[in-house]
Amino acid sequence: MSNKRLWSLLALLLVLVMLVAACAPAATPAPAADQSASAQDTPAEEAPAQAPADTSTDAGTYQIPTTEEGKYNVAFVYVGPHDDGGWTQAHDQAREFVENNVADVHTAYVENVAEGADAEQVIRSLARKGFDVIFTTSFGFMDASEIVASEFPDVDIIHISGFKANGENFGNLMGSMENMKYVAGMVAGARAKADGNPKLGYIATFPIPEELRLGNAFGLGVEETCPECTIDVRWIFTWHDPVLEKEAASSLFDSGAQVVMTGADTPAPAEAAPDGKWGITYDYQYNCTNPQCLTSMYWNWGPVYANIVDQSRNGEYVGGWEYFDSDTGGMGLFGFGEDEELMPGVASIPEEDLAMIKETYMKFLSGELDRFDVFSGPITDNQGNLVVPEGVSLKQEDLDGFKEFGSECETCMYWWNENISAELPSLD
Amino acid sequence: MRLPVDLVVEKRTEDYPKWLPAATSLAAVILAFIISGIILKLIGGDPVQVGKFFWSATFGSVATISDTLVKATPLILVGLACSVAFRMKLWNIGAEGQFYMGAFFASLVVLVPILPPDAPKPLILLAMAVMGMIGGAIWGFVPGFLKAKFAVSEIITTLMLNYVAILWNNFWIFDRWSEGGFQMTRLFERGYWLPRLADYAREYPTLSGITLHLGFVVALLAAVLVWWIFDRSRWGYEIKLIGDNPNAARYAGLNIARNIILVMMLSGALAGLAGMSEISGVVHRLQERISPQYGFTGIIIAWVAKLNPFAVILVSILFGALIVAGREIQPSGLAAMLQGIILFMVISSDVLLRYSIRLQRTTTPVTAGSDA
Amino acid sequence: METHPNAVEMKDIVIRFPGVLANDHVNLVLKKGEIHALLGENGAGKSTLMNALAGLYRPTSGIIKINGEVADFHSPRDAIACGIGMVHQHFMLVPTQTATENILLGLSTPRFHINLAKYDEEILALQKQYGLYVDVKSKIWQLSVGEQQRVEILKTLYRGAEILILDEPTAVLAPQEIDELMATMRSLVDQGKSIIFISHKLHEVEQVADRITVLRKGVVTAEGIDIAGLDKRKLAQLMVGRDVVFDVERTAQKPGEVVLSVRDLQASNNKGVPALRGVSFDVHAGEILGFAGVAGNGQSELAECITGLRACRGQITIDGRDLANAPPILAIKNGVAHVPEDRTHVGTAPNLSITENSIMKNYREAPIGNGVTINRSNARIYARKLKESYGILAPGVRTLARKLSGGNLQKVILAREISTDPKLMVAVQPTRGLDVGAIEAIQRLLLEQRSTGTAVLLISEELEELFSLSDRIAVIFHGQIMGILPAEDADIDTVGQMMMGTRLEEIEQEQEAAP
Repeated sequence: MSNKRLWSLLALLLVLVMLVAACAPAATPAPAADQSASAQDTPAEEAPAQAPADTSTDAGTYQIPTTEEGKYNVAFVYVGPHDDGGWTQAHDQAREFVENNVADVHTAYVENVAEGADAEQVIRSLARKGFDVIFTTSFGFMDASEIVASEFPDVDIIHISGFKANGENFGNLMGSMENMKYVAGMVAGARAKADGNPKLGYIATFPIPEELRLGNAFGLGVEETCPECTIDVRWIFTWHDPVLEKEAASSLFDSGAQVVMTGADTPAPAEAAPDGKWGITYDYQYNCTNPQCLTSMYWNWGPVYANIVDQSRNGEYVGGWEYFDSDTGGMGLFGFGEDEELMPGVASIPEEDLAMIKETYMKFLSGELDRFDVFSGPITDNQGNLVVPEGVSLKQEDLDGFKEFGSECETCMYWWNENISAELPSLD
Repeated sequence: MRLPVDLVVEKRTEDYPKWLPAATSLAAVILAFIISGIILKLIGGDPVQVGKFFWSATFGSVATISDTLVKATPLILVGLACSVAFRMKLWNIGAEGQFYMGAFFASLVVLVPILPPDAPKPLILLAMAVMGMIGGAIWGFVPGFLKAKFAVSEIITTLMLNYVAILWNNFWIFDRWSEGGFQMTRLFERGYWLPRLADYAREYPTLSGITLHLGFVVALLAAVLVWWIFDRSRWGYEIKLIGDNPNAARYAGLNIARNIILVMMLSGALAGLAGMSEISGVVHRLQERISPQYGFTGIIIAWVAKLNPFAVILVSILFGALIVAGREIQPSGLAAMLQGIILFMVISSDVLLRYSIRLQRTTTPVTAGSDA
Repeated sequence: METHPNAVEMKDIVIRFPGVLANDHVNLVLKKGEIHALLGENGAGKSTLMNALAGLYRPTSGIIKINGEVADFHSPRDAIACGIGMVHQHFMLVPTQTATENILLGLSTPRFHINLAKYDEEILALQKQYGLYVDVKSKIWQLSVGEQQRVEILKTLYRGAEILILDEPTAVLAPQEIDELMATMRSLVDQGKSIIFISHKLHEVEQVADRITVLRKGVVTAEGIDIAGLDKRKLAQLMVGRDVVFDVERTAQKPGEVVLSVRDLQASNNKGVPALRGVSFDVHAGEILGFAGVAGNGQSELAECITGLRACRGQITIDGRDLANAPPILAIKNGVAHVPEDRTHVGTAPNLSITENSIMKNYREAPIGNGVTINRSNARIYARKLKESYGILAPGVRTLARKLSGGNLQKVILAREISTDPKLMVAVQPTRGLDVGAIEAIQRLLLEQRSTGTAVLLISEELEELFSLSDRIAVIFHGQIMGILPAEDADIDTVGQMMMGTRLEEIEQEQEAAP
């Protein structure tokens, strides 16, 4: 009767407890202790004296971001999981770079922070704990970063991909990914031409200048290797949604695209590509693993961050508007690096095209070419208007402004290159 | 195996003492922490460290207490919203949508604008609160009306209206009021902000970064109001009667349709007030994802609090603490697990209210054919 | 085992529930081929004992022998395998399926495809054998209660039951259906089945049972005694342990003004079928008008129309005010009290306390309510007063309604309704399912109402009750009144004929023609 059932339940609980006891010692490997650090290291409340953390307060496999005395403390606030295979992982890779390459530095991160309501508290909590530099790596953290920066003048807060700065301890940072999009466009065009299918696709996120700029850079690159190619566009209105992005990629492939490039975070285009078709991934160097992937246009924030951390420690950081070009080493194309092999889809591109691509890529890395070369005339839009005449180049405000949003741009980034077959997004 | 004592589980025949529900809930929460600790240990964490951290990150200092209470504020309001509806057995799972509509309507004051930023602050805030409640109430009225007049299940309609509200909100922030093409409106002027303790940082520097805002006080007052309605008012009695037996309520002369609509509107208004409090007190603009699923957390809170408005405050603070502490522990996800375990334990603990369990000396076997 | 004379032997059965000893060393012997009545008040432990026999509970101790062999049932399935079939008081049928489908439900064959026509025939054969006729193709909801009961019996027979347990089978039936059931039981026994028949109605037991066992508070007070030589009063004594006065005193009283006047009332039932087809009558102050009729002939709908719970056409005037189609609140405000047919689903809120249930009708007025709040201490005082003066047995006024027995629950309802000092009391089946003691108390309360000048409309299926309480008796059939006659002039024969659809005038004409 019910007694018997209760006893078996108790027995089960007992077994469970014993299991826990048995597993526990094996399951908590203490991280290799750094004795020299632990000697002086007695952070106020949490960190136990005997088990110093390598990255932050150690709670077994769980990390709690806290500062370490005697080190320069750097925190990162991520919008997604640290291993998302895209945007956030690229930043986390940079965090590791900083940890390993800057002397006496301690790094920590907080992942999955919702834009809006939660961000301010998280950033403030980090500032309160005494972090010296905080990188906030999503557009939606902008206001929160600004507010906390004003409360903690001793903390430098660097916001990625925004447009605000206070001239003191709060600045923004972004890089000219358009260069890599341009080269990726050359790769895609050459590939499509070799496959004999002159149709390409672009997954765009939000109707903002950045997305039109990157799409146009891609289009201009395509034109170099495949003048007859056209590009279709899908708007997904999100930065990170693997399902939606995959659906958009499939939709482009279904409507005939040979190569699909993405402006969002996930390796979806390569995953969605059917046999014989190709995808180009974004953000994270090592997310181009699928054989259908041609290359990834990746960020390499590490050197840039290391530089900023050094500036900050020396008291030289001035929060401003910082936009780095490809000569900083802050970005690249996977497969074209020194220790890397070209993906099969790229290696099989006809020799003369490949040589031209490699040459252009090297010129961007060396600084011989920059973003203004990408947007130099003549450029015609898909309505037949001449946007940029021969011998003229767009200015920075033209690259990132819409008149509707109050930019002082003359030739605003509200046009599609002639080989892009989509309509412009509505802005009102 | 025969032990000298038997565990006897008996159905309670008498009323349990008044303190028992609170005691079992508390025990359930403690047990949930212990079980979570065991799980944490199993997957290689250090429960003691995590526990210490939880404490220091949530109640360890004035600043963290403030963070916890800020997080608890919308939770209290949506928790009350759900409790009100659940009392009448109306399964309003649309607090999320009502929250968004509250935020949207409150934003109208700023963005239309209905009142300029230099209008008297009490007037602005009152207008925003009223608009927020109206927005939520409308979103409660629709399913309430459909339920009352056409017997359409409120579970379906409230759930679906969540999506409508979020998409409606998106339309405005993406399209009409978008700032820079992004999914958000412009930052509200200071005049539209709920007063925060941090606003007085100039006079009292220790208040710097203490973001606790007036919304918390409003939430506490709302809890008192809900308690009064439930326990003291005539309407509360009617809600209880309808909730327990609608047939009897109709027999007692109650207009059930009207009460369904009113209760859904009150529930929606509370959730809408939460939306107003968040955008005016924390986010300071209308944007995407202003609610990390507060509306659904509210359902859990209402259950764990057993629909008692004061318990809602305590549970909301606990859950607020879980969220605040949980999101700093990396990798993330621990807080959600804890929430789930707490809910599970509290619901299971109801068994103790219906059964009494005691130990009894084993007597000689009585059942014929016992195979013990 | 064919030779064993006893179909069932239950020895020293003890069944203990938390806090309750439901059966205390109970013995029961069912001989082969007999109808054995199990008699007892509500809560005497009859159903519990039978549920143990049907495998629903396992007794705490004791032995059950079937055909002389010890049986240990772990589930109803085991009991069915031993040839035991139980027809529960509340039918366990799926309303949207046909009779045949319900009979097959839960059997391991047929596994996938059901050749309904084949099974229809099998069941028709079974019907013929025992005289249990039901349209096998009808959906359950289309069948009358009596027919549904037949489906339940067929279900047990189809599963090969030799021993049938009928749990208060007559509680839901009309008089002629009861007669049919009795005949069926006889025919089943004639064909070798054995039947245990649970009841607390003495006259039915007398009519059909061979032997009886009486339970009182979980203890056997009479074990397997022959029915012959026992009179009704003796049986009642065995059941309740004291003498029951059956004839409640009704003093002569002159009725007053017309309180309720109903004219040409028409209404439909829940299925949209006309249930009232032009009903007209009056009830006077200080008078009990009894409504007789077989269940389902419009009585429930009549009560609901008068109390505002059901839409209708026609006139309902209470004290000169037309209240047809007015919301229930208006009926309440105009002094209509209502003892509803369904105590638990309409009359009370199960999870609310006695206090909260007592103030259901008067919480709006002082001293309990003002416009906005409820004075909880006044409410408690009020409830305590009711509890005392009406003898409601409960630990306290905070006790939840669902913890009360049927009789006490009915007392709460009556106390509440009477305390509103009504002009009109509509009482529907006020004593159904109650034990003898409670019935008497409730009947006295109704008579008290009459003597204080309240107009009472009493709807009941207990003819005895109607005869002893009413001043006049109206008989309703198929939504129409067959006639209204003074209780003194009424006899069972006449009322019985009217209940079957003969108008009073026709009977009178016949009687005049006869001599």
